[in-house]
Amino acid sequence: MEVADCRTIARGDLNAWVTRLLGRAEVIAPVRGQGGDEVFASIAAPEEVLWSFRNPLLPPKHLLLPQTDTLAEFRRVDGHYQVQEPPPPRPKILLNARSCDAVGLAFLAEMHAQDLTDAAVLRRAEALTVVSLACHQPCPLGFCVCCDAGPFLEHDFDLQLTDLGDRFHAEPGTPKGQALLDLAPDLFQVADAAAAEQRFALEQQALASFGKETCHFGAAMRRISTRRVAEDLWEKMSPWCLECGGCNHACPTCYCFSVADRTENGCTTRCRMWDSCQYAEFTLEASGHNPRPKRADRMKRRFYHKVSAQYFQRDGRVGCVGCGRCVQVCMGTTDMPAVVGAIRRGNWVSGRPA
Amino acid sequence: MSDLLVPAIATILDQQDETPDTRTYRLRFRDDAQAERFDFQPGQFLELSVFGAGEAPFCLASSPTRRGTIEVTVRRTGRVTDALAALGPGDEVGLRGPCGNGFDVTAAEGHDLVFVGGGIGLPPLRGLIWNVLDRREAFGNVTILYGARTPSLLVYKQELHEWGARADVEVRITVDRAEPGWTGTVGMVPVLFDQVDLKPQSSLAYVCGPPIMISFVIQDLLARGFAPERIISTLERMMQCGVGKCNHCCVGSKYLCRDGPVFNFREIREMWE
Ligand SMILES: Cc1cc2nc3c(=O)[nH]c(=O)nc-3n(C[C@H](O)[C@H](O)[C@H](O)COP(=O)(O)OP(=O)(O)OC[C@H]3O[C@@H](n4cnc5c(N)ncnc54)[C@H](O)[C@@H]3O)c2cc1C
Ligand code: SF4
Ligand code: FES
Repeated sequence: MEVADCRTIARGDLNAWVTRLLGRAEVIAPVRGQGGDEVFASIAAPEEVLWSFRNPLLPPKHLLLPQTDTLAEFRRVDGHYQVQEPPPPRPKILLNARSCDAVGLAFLAEMHAQDLTDAAVLRRAEALTVVSLACHQPCPLGFCVCCDAGPFLEHDFDLQLTDLGDRFHAEPGTPKGQALLDLAPDLFQVADAAAAEQRFALEQQALASFGKETCHFGAAMRRISTRRVAEDLWEKMSPWCLECGGCNHACPTCYCFSVADRTENGCTTRCRMWDSCQYAEFTLEASGHNPRPKRADRMKRRFYHKVSAQYFQRDGRVGCVGCGRCVQVCMGTTDMPAVVGAIRRGNWVSGRPA
Repeated sequence: MSDLLVPAIATILDQQDETPDTRTYRLRFRDDAQAERFDFQPGQFLELSVFGAGEAPFCLASSPTRRGTIEVTVRRTGRVTDALAALGPGDEVGLRGPCGNGFDVTAAEGHDLVFVGGGIGLPPLRGLIWNVLDRREAFGNVTILYGARTPSLLVYKQELHEWGARADVEVRITVDRAEPGWTGTVGMVPVLFDQVDLKPQSSLAYVCGPPIMISFVIQDLLARGFAPERIISTLERMMQCGVGKCNHCCVGSKYLCRDGPVFNFREIREMWE
């Protein structure tokens, strides 16, 4: 971020800006869902956008990886198959993503760019502009500070907003983010020194308020990567996992999938669908052999993938953004901070006080 | 950019029954330019689609030195393979690939080669064998050792005969259980090691087959003085994408569909998760 590029916008002008965004693309933002929860959804009017909210239980990863994602359609015409690929994605703006989720989206885009390029996912990433909203205070279960994924960001956003009270600070991270400022030069002012100072102070305050509730990845990474996690630790933890896959599905960085065909009215649709490494069938081979037969094997796999040095070297990041969603969804308490803590201490203390 | 997970259409030209449940298909991409352009290393595999049933990985069982058509040998075990068995010449399937690393044929030049196959493990070796035989002068001795549970479960019977008739190839076959009319060797594949002159110092051993057979054969080869680097095998895992994205095939941080399926035994020994 160049300080000179930063802008501010009056709180009262936000709706006018969002109206212009709506004129340009589909806008997805946290809104109050019908059941009363905060959820990410497309908005029709700027008044729907929440500017202060609890991070939705499900991350916005479906914007890059829909839970059921059509890869192609196959239709047989005169004995020959025709392959129809889905249309290119339409431009979308994700407004008010929390820092952790912005990093999650960047992680997913990187995973589909590295080695062989998954163009379908990268086209979606290219069509998506991520406007993140920096966090003034840790969310109750969050530990983004341990994952280089918040509370404020230095990269992985297109435009980063900070709520300064009567106005918002806006810093562009990419030309896509800059373009959203350029839509409304009349609404944005060059950020003055006071705005920059206030933003900086809020960041310091946010960082300071994380306290001891952090996740000690370093210690866990050393142990996992050098095979120094006792086998029976996984055995002790594994009965607590219900094999529901909730941790994977609610995780902003999990991206395992399976592929399946569905045929309707003579047209076969091939989809990729979210899968979970915690399911026994994930590695079940046609011969009936399963290299990860025990739940302990699968839990070990999940944490090896997310926090081993081997994967860190391959991917350049830990597979966790510290959003705390697995803490929220896991009925068995085998969430990221709990397991990382158990690995660090070398023993498993089951259950978490409610 | 072409999409990683979208197959191209290919036509089944003809098919050959190998055993009661295993069949070899000869395929050609429907697009002529693609058919002629398609290049691969033996040991690589394809993702084959039977539209409506799904997709599954199969080794390229033909040699890249023979352009234009591709062969796969498939055993019926489930959804996709059953649906494939119901298709025949003229029917269309989908293909993606080639996937995986394949055998390093160039690195094998000048070495004596021992191919050790068990049951349905011969297809990946077959492509390599034809590749070697098509450039026979580039390699040293060629020995093919192959075993199946019973004589009727031997695949590529015609070619085994053809290879065996050549003066520049040594072929030995065994079955676990004889059937009426079988006069050959009976016993597991390692019994063949005593019938040939294995040269552990100058040979590369290529071992493919069921996991149990692979582990017996490798232990035997090590005991006979083969260095782990000189024993080359293929690993299998459940695969969904074949292109390093779905995470089904991982062993630790290795992706069998990208880093493999071909590994030497030193690499295999170092894998853990
Ligand atoms: C790199 C690689 C290369 C390979 N190369 C080859 C090759 O060259 N040739 C080859 O033959 N195979 C090969 N395989 C194995 C092949 O991919 C599998 O056999 C194939 O995926 C099976 O797919 P399927 O849909 O037919 O079976 P699935 O439907 O996935 O069957 C899986 C299991 O379900 C069981 N099952 C399926 N349907 C039923 C049912 N109706 N009732 C009860 N049980 C059922 C089957 O018995 C089987 O155990 C290879 C695998 C890999 C990873
Ligand atoms: S770890 Fe928890 S959230 Fe994940 S599958 Fe197991 S019970 Fe479900
Ligand atoms: S098969 Fe999908 S990652 Fe290897």
